[in-house]
Amino acid sequence: MLVLDSIHLQIEGEETPLLSNISVLFPASHFGAILGPSGCGKSTLLKVIAGILPHTSGALYWQGKNLENEDLPAHQLGYVPQFSCTHPRLTVRENLIYCARLRKKGTPQEIASTVDQVSEETGLTELQNRMAGVLSGGQLRRLGLAMELTTQPSLLLADEVTSGLDPKSEEEITELLSSLSQEQGRLVLLVTHSLRNIEVYDSITVLTGGRLAYSADPRDLTHYFQVKNPELIYPALAQRDPEAWGQDWDELPKPEGMTPRNILGELESMTISEEKEESLELPSFLSQSWTWLRRRLKIFFRDPAQVFLQLSLLLIFPAVVTLFAYRGLPEVRNMAMSSDTGVVEQLRDSLAFTIQSSRVGTLVSGLAMFQVILLALMGSNNSAREVVGDRPILEKEKLAGLRTGSALFGMGLFLTFLVLAQSIWMTLFVRAVCQFPGNLFDQFLPFFFLTGGVTALCLAISSWASSSEQASLGSLYLVGFQLPLSGAILALPDFLGILTRPFISAYWAWSCYLQTLRDTRFYDVVRFITETPLAGSTVSLWILLVHLGLGGVFAYFGMRRSQWR
Amino acid sequence: MARRAHQKTPSSLLFGFVAVFFVFAAVGAFFLQKGSNPYRTVEPLKPNDYFENANSLRGNIYQVEGVIMNALAQNPEKGRLFSIVLTSESKKWPMPIFIPSKLRQINLQKNQSYRAKVRVDDSGILVAEEIQKS
Repeated sequence: MLVLDSIHLQIEGEETPLLSNISVLFPASHFGAILGPSGCGKSTLLKVIAGILPHTSGALYWQGKNLENEDLPAHQLGYVPQFSCTHPRLTVRENLIYCARLRKKGTPQEIASTVDQVSEETGLTELQNRMAGVLSGGQLRRLGLAMELTTQPSLLLADEVTSGLDPKSEEEITELLSSLSQEQGRLVLLVTHSLRNIEVYDSITVLTGGRLAYSADPRDLTHYFQVKNPELIYPALAQRDPEAWGQDWDELPKPEGMTPRNILGELESMTISEEKEESLELPSFLSQSWTWLRRRLKIFFRDPAQVFLQLSLLLIFPAVVTLFAYRGLPEVRNMAMSSDTGVVEQLRDSLAFTIQSSRVGTLVSGLAMFQVILLALMGSNNSAREVVGDRPILEKEKLAGLRTGSALFGMGLFLTFLVLAQSIWMTLFVRAVCQFPGNLFDQFLPFFFLTGGVTALCLAISSWASSSEQASLGSLYLVGFQLPLSGAILALPDFLGILTRPFISAYWAWSCYLQTLRDTRFYDVVRFITETPLAGSTVSLWILLVHLGLGGVFAYFGMRRSQWR
Repeated sequence: MARRAHQKTPSSLLFGFVAVFFVFAAVGAFFLQKGSNPYRTVEPLKPNDYFENANSLRGNIYQVEGVIMNALAQNPEKGRLFSIVLTSESKKWPMPIFIPSKLRQINLQKNQSYRAKVRVDDSGILVAEEIQKS
């Protein structure tokens, strides 16, 4: 049984509460509809019940337990939002399999059996191998419901799942929900605009302006609102102030023992028997990460545009770098050591060396920075939309029991593959064509940590951004500021350099890469032309590692916070 | 206890994390940077003292960092004598440095910067005991 006791929800700075004094109870094995005109608080109420929105005052009880003290176990709650939570590039069956694997423990056979069962229940058996992206609106709603049913929830909340459907599909979905409410003492609540076929519901709850105007048997609905048919309720509601409707309902004598307060009194006086806890264990942390990774890889390889873009960047960027030294780095001619030569000869030698140093030093420094900037760009492309793009799905899956850490770990593994491919290929290709001297592994390390660091920082931006555009712009700025603030092209004023360098990943990767040339003349000519001090390789790697860690921590908290739209 | 779906992270915790990371980064960088100079425990040579009275420094060990200017003399058995320019207090100080033949594995080039651990010998010349590129 679900009891709502004087639920009140007010947004800070807003005068009118979104929900005011909502007291209602829903028994088990019940199919209830929540009706009302647009903006009356139907979906808000459902979100409060699901725990997505925090109510300001009042209390919610589920099976006698105050949900503020002990939240619903993830598997007991099914919430079908207005938007689709399916992956369009996965088939119906794959969507269901991955959904079940993220939510419950079980062998592949057990998971497959659950998927077969819910597919049959929701009429999706024939559509198992169809891509979710080509399903009709009604089929998508069925898939959304089927995904929730994988854990056999005892409370199923459906937010406008019949909206926008043709009358036949609407009727089918409503009947499906009605039949689901007959199973295992399940309570099903449906938010809807539709006033057709109201007799199918066990109860109708009407909201207006955030107030409860009615919550009782559908057969008494027209009588209570003094209208001839249910379609006339909305015009009737508009004729009076929501407060007046709310007051009328509050003052209406209820059958004894059937008010939320009375029920609560009874619940409190009872010793709630320690029922055998209906438990459904969540998969382990690593199991959820592994499922997340497998699903991400499948979606990635099924998206030709994404694969093409990644491959293009991977191959074209290093090729662009080598255009500037495709014949290899030029030889550096040393100055004569002897002091026996004349002054003119020495000056001529010195001038030739200066010109050469300037040319070669600029080339070497530029090639190093060019690689760094292009890798940073690839890093931002890796993750700028990774979280924000599928945020609604992430929120939905967190509600269903997915650990934030598991999602982040799975995401991290996926991004590590990309980062490895990008940094290895850039190091190998540019080194081979331009014939860079120095240790190969030492040159790979700063590139790997730089790409990883920028990827992690952009992942953090993505997890805190409220839209894809915002995340892309933030990531673009992050990369855009790297070049000017690195001091590689133009030296910054000393104080500015000290202030900005700690944050500029490109500076540390550039320095670290150049340090690998330390035993060659290339290092000397770069030192000759640049006024920016070069950091040591160990310090550089350390700072890049800190950037990576900072990005990871911020991404975790960004993903952990609730961001329902 | 807040419900699962509306967990919030206090901003103080986030600021705390940032602060911890910066302290972590700064402390790590400080120690790593310090460790990058192998002669950090050796006292740097003060050119002013050297030019005032090099004899008083005889036998002492110092670290120097400077740019090689010219080869002054060489003996395949003993080593090579170079002039090196040290920069101290915004002034440039040319000095003689002798690189014994035991350090011949290092490639010394004009205009290249080196860091060395040196001993002031009886004639006042700096004799490198260890040397590396800086």
